[in-house]
Amino acid sequence: MAMKGFTRKFKPLEIITEEQVEAIHRGILDVLQTTGVRFESKRALKLFEKNDCQVDYDNMRVKFPPGLVEECLRRCPSSFRVKAREPKNDLIIGGNTVYFVASPGMQTVDLDTWEPRPATKKEYYDTVKIMDALPNLHLFCCYTPYFGFEGIPEVMKIPEGLAAKIRNSNKFTWSCFSNDCEIFNIKMVKAVGTETIILAMMASPPLTYYNSAIECAFRTLEADLPIGVDTGTVFGATGPATIAGSLVTYTAELVAGIVLIQLIKPGTRTFIAGFPHPQNMRSGSPAFGDIGISLFDVAFNQICRKYEIPCRNTASAYSSSKKMDFQCGYERGIPAILSAVSGAQFIHVHGGMYGELAHHPIQDILDDDVAGMIGRFIEGVEVSDETLAIDLIEKVGPIPGFYLNKEHTRKWWRKEQFVPEVADRLTYPEWINSGKKTAFDYAKKRMEEILATHKVDPPLTNSQEEDIERILKEAREYYRKKGLITDEEWETYKKVLR
Amino acid sequence: MSNEILENLKKAILEYESEKAANLAREALEKKIDPAKALNVMTEAVRQVGDGFGRGELWLPDLVGAADAMQSAMPIIQKEIERKGMKVETLGVVVVGTVFGDIHSIGKTMVCTLLAAEGFTVYDLGVNVTAEKFIEAVKKYKADILAMSALMTMTAPEQRKVIAILKKENLRDKVKVMVGGGSLTEEFAKNIGADGYDPTAPGGAKLARRLLNK
Repeated sequence: MAMKGFTRKFKPLEIITEEQVEAIHRGILDVLQTTGVRFESKRALKLFEKNDCQVDYDNMRVKFPPGLVEECLRRCPSSFRVKAREPKNDLIIGGNTVYFVASPGMQTVDLDTWEPRPATKKEYYDTVKIMDALPNLHLFCCYTPYFGFEGIPEVMKIPEGLAAKIRNSNKFTWSCFSNDCEIFNIKMVKAVGTETIILAMMASPPLTYYNSAIECAFRTLEADLPIGVDTGTVFGATGPATIAGSLVTYTAELVAGIVLIQLIKPGTRTFIAGFPHPQNMRSGSPAFGDIGISLFDVAFNQICRKYEIPCRNTASAYSSSKKMDFQCGYERGIPAILSAVSGAQFIHVHGGMYGELAHHPIQDILDDDVAGMIGRFIEGVEVSDETLAIDLIEKVGPIPGFYLNKEHTRKWWRKEQFVPEVADRLTYPEWINSGKKTAFDYAKKRMEEILATHKVDPPLTNSQEEDIERILKEAREYYRKKGLITDEEWETYKKVLR
Repeated sequence: MSNEILENLKKAILEYESEKAANLAREALEKKIDPAKALNVMTEAVRQVGDGFGRGELWLPDLVGAADAMQSAMPIIQKEIERKGMKVETLGVVVVGTVFGDIHSIGKTMVCTLLAAEGFTVYDLGVNVTAEKFIEAVKKYKADILAMSALMTMTAPEQRKVIAILKKENLRDKVKVMVGGGSLTEEFAKNIGADGYDPTAPGGAKLARRLLNK
């Protein structure tokens, strides 16, 4: 048993030809061989040198022989299982299975002013609980729902966030790294008998890996965990302004990361991710919600299919809108469906608002309908003797024939239709008489219902809870000793912990 | 002749031609043109681009293009000004950089360009700047303002560290500190003891004026 997700039952959408995929692949190999990638780690440089890469130690630049690159790509499994706390939430990643992932946001949003503000500890834990209850949200991303909560020091945001997700959900979660926090993340997931995918090999475009990412990769592989390779090109800023050019640098960064991983530990369960965006040429921010991201993602998915490596898309993760409005809906829905029909295995949909700057549980609930609707679409049209219903059509015949009272209808309609949880589908009279409610109003009500009734099943055992608390305590002491939690921060933090 | 060189220097910046701007700056000095005049036309060019950006007629690639061209000519002219011991008319000296551990440069470059357009003398230390380098630059350039950028929540506390060292070295009263970056808030800025915060690059340039009462 594992989390089913959704299964795409038709040929994936292609936006570039096979020859164009080959041209991009040749560009990637050429960039890796001639330009190379900077790896700020002696340990990694030595390993590359031992495997016949050309290494310039002064500039920390590695140039890769194409044969080695292609060999390492082949070492990645095309499909693999990762373990959640409950087998029903394990993920089988690869092929035509699509999982919807939450989108992180730095803060929450005040619903009166729509301005962002830090989430409290209670809001953090409540939002995790709501996300646990949503049927079309299959797993958590590392910073979801929020980067942290009020009163905790920066260095404790990731470990405290992971602990909240372990405590208030048994869905699978990714995690990430900063200031060695992966040490504690690994301990926590092991303590509750689950795995995590650490987005460890995170490139800094263009064509650079910092030591912290590389050290995290070594730690992840020592712990025998699956790994995510990630990058985040901004077209026209940290990559070429052209989509094809940025596909080359972006994928070259990911492939260089894969080479390191597969040299350290061949066969490691690997997926590739990224955060591509055109540059907003007015503000300097990434252009969230831009259709250019989907153009990029759909072509990227074709390259990933060639490499037979599972991948993630982020185009639908964020809108540029600051409200849960029309713009937010189209900037979320259109990219999400394009990613789903073009073959991404992970798609960010739930909860994120404007860039990575906010998240809200009502948005999670609204997005769960978006994910459900798209999931239903990719499951496609079933054509069989039973669904063709020729015998039934013969039996019913012309008017006054009628299908509503037939067993076939009772059996099939719920399979064929997607029934949204919070969309307004009332008639005008019903809508007027029931207070002219919108999807937002229904989502708010559903949030209250989930909070009042949902239970994490099963909850952590007492000994697992003790382990989590012990590991967090260890992390706090580690950062206190390193001077990364100041006395002032510690005093505030202690109040939150009470 | 000298006017023509200065016009061409201005034009080179307005057309984002870095190499040409540097060559014209050298030519200007060879022809004994007053470096202060060269500095004026360069500032005027960047101001024009900054204004165009402000009006929504020009875009970020234009702003960065002009900044690059100015940056390539600036050290040549500045060196001559220092050699002659000349006093340059300026709104103030600003040392700018993205903090240690953070390599995001776009916002910082926008602020630098718009500060230069306002008439400040700007020293851009680049990205991934250690606290020590910030302090060294504040001392060396006798900065009126120290402007630090941090995009990520993880690197924002580095700004607190720099302010702590400024205090330790008895420099805190001598320099105004302004901070910016995607992950920052007004509250955070107050909390770490900065003198000012603005979420936008044009706002940052105006903030610098306010901090120095200019």
